[in-house]
Amino acid sequence: MAKVLIPTPLRQYAGNQKEVEVAGSTVGEILTTLTSDFADLRKHLYTDEGKLRSFVNVYLNDDDVRYLDKDKTPAAPSDTLSIVPSIAGGSR
Amino acid sequence: MIRIEELAWQVMLDHAYTAYPRECCGILLGVEQADGERVVTSAFPCRNTYEGDQSDRFQIDPRDQVRANLRSRSEDIDILGFFHSHPDCDAYFSATDLKNSWPWYSNVVLSIRHGEIAGAAAFRANEDQSHSEAEELLYPSALPALAAGPAEESPGVESPA
Repeated sequence: MAKVLIPTPLRQYAGNQKEVEVAGSTVGEILTTLTSDFADLRKHLYTDEGKLRSFVNVYLNDDDVRYLDKDKTPAAPSDTLSIVPSIAGGSR
Repeated sequence: MIRIEELAWQVMLDHAYTAYPRECCGILLGVEQADGERVVTSAFPCRNTYEGDQSDRFQIDPRDQVRANLRSRSEDIDILGFFHSHPDCDAYFSATDLKNSWPWYSNVVLSIRHGEIAGAAAFRANEDQSHSEAEELLYPSALPALAAGPAEESPGVESPA
């Protein structure tokens, strides 16, 4: 099973776990299973239309899945999926 | 309250100096103690990937966040928050900062004027990023410890350095 790393603000929606082992052969399957197991996570990761929120990045190991094959990106049990908050700002 | 240890503080300042007159950005690593006090033991400088004028905007490279996350796991510490600089501006939490932040994390803003640190303040956003609150900030510097100034509603009001 692939390992999914949960950022601190979302751990409260994932049983207060830092990481979760999730079965699945693609990024989409893993995230679907994850948000089925932890339903409260879903609204924080996906829009009502089912798209990954713009301020959420998902990395498969070192790669942004948006630049791979998105939900269809193959994932192996040895892979690590990181949910990465998008952080930006500025004085203006 | 968030307290920044000396080595981390120096990394933050060096990053702000190097990036000036552009905004710098980075990640704060450390531990949250049982009493809620956050202790930043190391700072992780990140690339500013904002595509445009970086003198007043930043975007943390998420690849750096992935690396910082791996480091935090190997050192059994947490990502406590983020820092960035406001070149030739005060250390406030702007509406842009608030809109692009996440709850829970501490956000340390460094004011850097004419290439010199002029103040710092910390803020946390609420759950829906509609509001931020000042967080007490302690850092090792000749500057006095600052209680953060007004939040995003009052950009331009300087903390009492």
